[in-house]
Amino acid sequence: MTEGAIKLWAIIVSVGAANFLVRLSFIALLANKAMPPLLTRALRYVAVAMITALVLPMVLSTSAAPAVMAFWPNAKLLAALIALTVAFFTQSMGWTLVAGMGALWLLQAVATSF
Amino acid sequence: MSRVFSKPDFYSGVRGTLPAAAALIPFGLVCGVDAAAAGASPLAAVGLSAIVFSGAAQILATQLYAAGAPLAVIVLTCFVIGLRLAMYSAAMAPHLGTFPARWRYLSAFLLTDQAFAAAISRFEASADRNRALSHFLGGGIVLWGGWQLMTMAGYFLGNVIPASWSLEFAVPLCFIALLGPLLRERPAIAAAVAAAVAVVLLAGLPMRLNIVVAGIIGIAIGTLAELALERKTTTRERFR
Repeated sequence: MTEGAIKLWAIIVSVGAANFLVRLSFIALLANKAMPPLLTRALRYVAVAMITALVLPMVLSTSAAPAVMAFWPNAKLLAALIALTVAFFTQSMGWTLVAGMGALWLLQAVATSF
Repeated sequence: MSRVFSKPDFYSGVRGTLPAAAALIPFGLVCGVDAAAAGASPLAAVGLSAIVFSGAAQILATQLYAAGAPLAVIVLTCFVIGLRLAMYSAAMAPHLGTFPARWRYLSAFLLTDQAFAAAISRFEASADRNRALSHFLGGGIVLWGGWQLMTMAGYFLGNVIPASWSLEFAVPLCFIALLGPLLRERPAIAAAVAAAVAVVLLAGLPMRLNIVVAGIIGIAIGTLAELALERKTTTRERFR
């Protein structure tokens, strides 16, 4: 193995181990322990808060620089809001994907035709 | 094993996760393309996606490796990017505590953004943890297996989807599909709005720390909103 290949395997093993330990952290620490009621309440908001924080930069950022956010004109933001409305009412992954992709393609077609 | 494992729920988890796995195809392809561009051997490319199993960490690791960054910098950066997974771990913990260690370890390994987002409401609503866990494992294994196929396709075939199709937009759409149904109650809406505002205002933070910090702010606001709402209703009852 070349030096580069050895370094790459070292990266794979250490990033993999770090990633696994982060995933395991609280599952292992809090196993079979009674949790304070306030914490139990707070944990119910992990999904809604984390998904929002994760998804918004994907919709706003230009692919080149994640820190540069474009609010307007932004076809992705508009398509995302349409998709969110569809997701709210249908609760369907399939319809949300169809509505979101359809809206984005339509908005892009409109934008390029002007 | 047979006491925990429920086959019908495992299969329904498999079926339910297929659309989300399909939406990840453009992302998986990019991870494979990046591994090839960084000069990884086929075995290293497989190892990377099979062991690390996180698109964001894989892309960062290969790009930093290609740029010649030191090992410690790469590991630290990927660790910080992965911190949001600790939040998922905490949210899953109360539901997994009663299972034998091997089930908890397997669940932790399969814990990704998609698997967590799809499973957590089922764990919260379900009275039968065994069924919820089997459903989660079905979804997790589809995502893991599918992810290997996608990154391999990207590694060997290159990015076969034209960029003009904008199919990478399917990744946020996948999360939006899971987010929509969560926005039923006012504290949840407050949590989402707070997280959205915070992630934009904190965009200048390094290593995408804005995501995990905004998540924590959203969680705090959601909890406070729930407590405030509760106090309001109890006071009203007292004066009735």
